[in-house]
Amino acid sequence: MINRRDFILGSLTLTMLGSPLFSARAEALEKRNLVVIVMRGGMDGLTAVPPNDPVLASRRPDIMVEDTLPLNADFSLNPQLRQFHKCWQDGQASIYHATNIPYTMRSHFEGQDLMESGGRTPFAEQTGWLGRGIYAAQLDGLAISLPMPLLLRSPMAVDNYYPTNLRMPALPVIEKVRSTYPADSLLAQTMDKVIQRPVSMLKSTSSRDAHDLARTASRMLAKDDGPRVAVFDIEGFDTHASQGGGEGEHADKLADYDLILSRLKQGMGDAFNNTLVVTLTEFGRKLDQNGGSGTEHGYGTAVLLAGGLVKGGMIHADWPGLQKKQLYEGQDLNATMDARSIYCSAMAACFQVDFELLRRQVFWNEPLVDLTDQLFI
Amino acid sequence: MTKANFFRKIAFGLNTHQARPDHPIDWAKSQLDNIPDMVWDGSIPTIKDMLNYYGKFVSTDRRVLRKKHKGDRAGYESAKEKLRSETGERYFENLELCIRHNTILKSGSPVFERLWMFWCNHFAIIDKDFLAEFSTGPYHREIIRQHMTGQFLDLAVAATTSWAMIHNLDNSESVGPNSKKGLRLKQKGRVISVNENHARELLELHTVSPSAGYTQDDVVALSYIMAGWEHPWTKKREECNMVKFNQKLHEPGKHTVLGKTYKQRGISSKNKLLDVLADLAQHEHTRHFIAFKLCRHFITDQPTEAMMAPIVSAWEETGGHLPSIHRALVEVIYAYTDDHLKFQNPEVWMLQMVNLAEMNWPPQAEDMTYDFIARPGYLKRRPEKLMREIGHMPYRPIQPNGFSDLERDWISPELLIRRLALPQELSPYIRGQINFEDIIEKNCSTPDEPLQMISKMTTQLEKLQYVFPGYWMLKA
Repeated sequence: MINRRDFILGSLTLTMLGSPLFSARAEALEKRNLVVIVMRGGMDGLTAVPPNDPVLASRRPDIMVEDTLPLNADFSLNPQLRQFHKCWQDGQASIYHATNIPYTMRSHFEGQDLMESGGRTPFAEQTGWLGRGIYAAQLDGLAISLPMPLLLRSPMAVDNYYPTNLRMPALPVIEKVRSTYPADSLLAQTMDKVIQRPVSMLKSTSSRDAHDLARTASRMLAKDDGPRVAVFDIEGFDTHASQGGGEGEHADKLADYDLILSRLKQGMGDAFNNTLVVTLTEFGRKLDQNGGSGTEHGYGTAVLLAGGLVKGGMIHADWPGLQKKQLYEGQDLNATMDARSIYCSAMAACFQVDFELLRRQVFWNEPLVDLTDQLFI
Repeated sequence: MTKANFFRKIAFGLNTHQARPDHPIDWAKSQLDNIPDMVWDGSIPTIKDMLNYYGKFVSTDRRVLRKKHKGDRAGYESAKEKLRSETGERYFENLELCIRHNTILKSGSPVFERLWMFWCNHFAIIDKDFLAEFSTGPYHREIIRQHMTGQFLDLAVAATTSWAMIHNLDNSESVGPNSKKGLRLKQKGRVISVNENHARELLELHTVSPSAGYTQDDVVALSYIMAGWEHPWTKKREECNMVKFNQKLHEPGKHTVLGKTYKQRGISSKNKLLDVLADLAQHEHTRHFIAFKLCRHFITDQPTEAMMAPIVSAWEETGGHLPSIHRALVEVIYAYTDDHLKFQNPEVWMLQMVNLAEMNWPPQAEDMTYDFIARPGYLKRRPEKLMREIGHMPYRPIQPNGFSDLERDWISPELLIRRLALPQELSPYIRGQINFEDIIEKNCSTPDEPLQMISKMTTQLEKLQYVFPGYWMLKA
């Protein structure tokens, strides 16, 4: 299951935050929601969306995905992705395969840092691509988690919300504490966010159940003046052992993704039609299974796209093939598209901002490809 | 400035009943050569005891309850609830937290205790399976703590071959492709290769770090060398058997890691891992990486080369003798006190508050007795809940790189709310009047402003709520 601490929600609402940034720009925009589902540990694109290639059976005899759901002549879908398949049938889901962030060194920590920062050098950036995107689009964000995920950190202090049983001191005491922090420090900026909160957010409550938070998320996203960005975090894709195929540990994690997708679709109603749900991971997994029926850290993987803003029923890929010479370092599915192109295009579509502006301001003018029209409505 | 911050930078501050030592450096250095006893009035479970509980919990669940109550979810849930109580599944993490915090506050060697916390986090065990419930606390006490007064190599060997780490990083799943078992499985048509997880983290997180420039080939070679170190699986105890080296899983032959070739000496291949570790422990990148981490943990988010140099030299001169390394660190921390302020992580900050305000926390052995029948009561579950609330559960880091040492990772509106709220939450445990003036003078290098502020406050609660989340106590 998703852990309760792993649920994060981005918000752009004036009513909740009293943010001056929301202002005219957000009001003038059609409300489009962007949901990012982070799959930590290395999601295996070959288990989620296996190609119909006999090579797979010879290299992964014990972890073959059986009882797959049909996609097209070349690819099938893991049976745990039932809701995703429904979306596919309804024209609300597509796949970008053989893609990843430009990182090939196989370390979780470097890879996760880069998938969130959007950069090329591990631990060099202090903000995340989603945080910078929100900032560039002149919107504001709210994370529903106790710490602030790098993905949402931006040049300005970002707000978050996480229920607690603890009681807050009286406001004058908080203001005195605030006065001890150096002006303009992150501490001071962050404490200002606490001080500006409406009373309703300061009430003590203890419901941190993932189901409650997921329900809350879909309700908030559905509102016209509600949040526009949500981030979910699923741990545990690092299946070095007992990975399984259609059932097993990797499939269980895909089922967690599918559950979030189904809750969003159910809870949001019509607003799902104005929503885009994208996945993010640090790398795929090696083609070969290992001795413990798991897989090792790899490179290329798949990005799942769902929601009404997706041009549905398509598998986008410059497919590199699974023959040894076609693999990255002879071991991994190659990545033929920089996944940041997908994320930059997703933000352009949802934030209704020019792709070029985001490419410059969020991704340092890196040579990303504008896929906005190809992928999204 | 008075360097009063030193006592919080390196320990838990000095309360009204703890005199300021005349020679702070000597005071700190005198705490490094001996391992203080755990301070706990009740019995302390061993790794072996806890493996028995762990084994009983998983084997009963997997082999008995799931079969017996197949298709009967309610029956299964209630039987599992009973099993949880019988094995202390909800209890032991709380007991461990009490033993940990009680010892840290009362062993009389707070500097040693801070270093213990550092090394536990360096060789971190993630929140996976039932490690936090049964295994990580004893691992901290028996593996990490017991090896802090010898060579780094011995600590690294103990951690690397411990049950908790082997389980944590899947090394039992690793099968050499040309090992006896590997060849047999290959004949049956299985694809066999090693599990790289443990080898990769040993290089990346525990020793040389990526700056050493190792390659994927190095990782694979080290995985071959490590193949065979497993916790054997048995029907009765599942995976809960002590770690052994199993030659049948080991990849035979020579393997090259970071340019050096390792081969078997004698009848067992066991030595190959020990030989690699001996070199990794002496590697210049290991010295540098760990000196960097020590400085980052205790002094500043951005350590300088000058700061690290004396620690690196001590390592070099003594071949990684931990007390010597720690002595060099003490001097560096003292030298840089008041030049840099270090943001204190939630657990350290909470324990500093408990020490300075002299709170009766954590619960004591008499509060923590357990009958292994009923679900543990409120107070017995409070330690874990409190740590969960402030976002710092020492037995549950999410990733093998442990908890962050960086200020920005510990700042968010909600995390600050925890700092604001915790003083009142723990205020019922205050024993008497707190002498705030004394605490501030003894523990803050720049005491004037906080002293002036509290002189205008009337209630003890208000002072408590102001002083601890304030800048001078959040940082040291």
